[in-house]
Amino acid sequence: MIEGDGNKVGLEKRLERLEAIIDRMESEDVALDEALQLFEEGVGHVREAEQVLAETELRVEELLAGGEMLEREIEEE
Amino acid sequence: MSEDGGIDSFGGDEANTAEVISDPPVVPKVWSITQVNRAVKEMLESSIDALWIGGEVGQWTRSRPGHCYFTLKDEQAELRAVMFARDASLLPTDPEQGMRVRCFGDLTLYERRGNYQMIVRRIEAEGEDGLWRKAFEKLKARLAGEGFLAAERKLSLPAYPEVVGVVTSPTGAALRDIVTVLRRRAPWSRIVLSPSRVQGEGASEELAKALDRLVESKVPDVIIVGRGGGSLEDLWAFNEEALARAIVASPIPIVSAVGHEVDVTISDLVADLRAPTPSAAAELVVPDGVLLLSSVRAAPLRLSRGVRRAAERRRARVTDRMRVLSRTMERSIRPARQAVGMDFERLERSIQQSLEQKRASFSMLSGRLEALSPLATLARGYSVARTSEGTVLRRVTDFHPGLQFDLKVTDGTVEANAVGPVKPGREER
Repeated sequence: MIEGDGNKVGLEKRLERLEAIIDRMESEDVALDEALQLFEEGVGHVREAEQVLAETELRVEELLAGGEMLEREIEEE
Repeated sequence: MSEDGGIDSFGGDEANTAEVISDPPVVPKVWSITQVNRAVKEMLESSIDALWIGGEVGQWTRSRPGHCYFTLKDEQAELRAVMFARDASLLPTDPEQGMRVRCFGDLTLYERRGNYQMIVRRIEAEGEDGLWRKAFEKLKARLAGEGFLAAERKLSLPAYPEVVGVVTSPTGAALRDIVTVLRRRAPWSRIVLSPSRVQGEGASEELAKALDRLVESKVPDVIIVGRGGGSLEDLWAFNEEALARAIVASPIPIVSAVGHEVDVTISDLVADLRAPTPSAAAELVVPDGVLLLSSVRAAPLRLSRGVRRAAERRRARVTDRMRVLSRTMERSIRPARQAVGMDFERLERSIQQSLEQKRASFSMLSGRLEALSPLATLARGYSVARTSEGTVLRRVTDFHPGLQFDLKVTDGTVEANAVGPVKPGREER
């Protein structure tokens, strides 16, 4: 429903898919061919998700009246 | 102050004096209505400070521009009161007739009508939270009537949001708290702030607009609407309809996070999830990054176990199938094999029999052959004489003295010589 940056699959979808894959492989009678396919897909999701999650700089932006975004500095106490 | 020196000219003594003196006729000092009303007004305003007055609300009317006119009364008396639009707009709701209230304001006189009245700046209903409670209940009932409080229309929160929208004051503690929590728990995420005032007149409408803009941007995966703690009045914007409707209309899940002083606000009720504070809201919207990262990193192992299990299952299945297959084959060939087995036995038996017959007849034949063999005769002590060429020497006449011949006995051959004359017919059998 909601686009992230719009350029690729969002983290949400990726992790949900990964969970679904693992669930399927752990709970169901998966044929070997399919298991191999799922494995490959799952590892791809892991790699991509890890890249996103490794990001350590929280971005804070302000939505301006015109709809554009402005980067903001928020200092902590 | 009045034109000629003040209120004191009204005073009792002077008035009495004026009455007693009848001549020479002195023209009494005559006040105009305007003068006297102004004088009384000024006297009232300067001599009585702003005060609280308690009573029951009588008739209450709100004019188009928002001024409220009403009476305050007790068993014996009434007092006119007015609350001007600026103050009245801060009322959560209009009080009902008969409601016991206390009003804070100034006593004055409305010069045009000569009415003495109170200009009310604040009204508080007696009893717990009074007007606020009443307004709250009224709005809550209306929203409930429209089905907006129903649990089944609550949206579920995304498990892994990348963009967290925040509607709050850009300078408040709420934003700082949210930033702190997200920086710790989900540093990969992104905050988009849609700034708004969170208290004061029109704050609810401003919050609603800020929320609408955020929703229209379609950027956030989840939105926090809130502010830090404050008094009931400070939090009032979160109890008003404008914000409530904006929350209800949002297709993006909304977490309400209003400071903890009151138990619950209208925003809490219509939001998809309620958090007691902005920090708590931030904790609720994002997963714990450390846990998440470790579970993502554990995923490949689980995936490879899955593959191994699938492979084992397949091997087990093949073995299983083989077993089933061999069982079925066994079953299907059993009758045939039994039949064949029976024939084999018979065949074997008959072969055996014929073999034995053959062996028996062979041994008989060989016995007869043996009887015919010269070897047997030799074995009994006979011998055969033959020339070196192999001619058998049968008769005496076959020999002459000096003849060399071979004598075959049962176990070999002896070279022999004939030495003397031979006498025919003697040793014949």
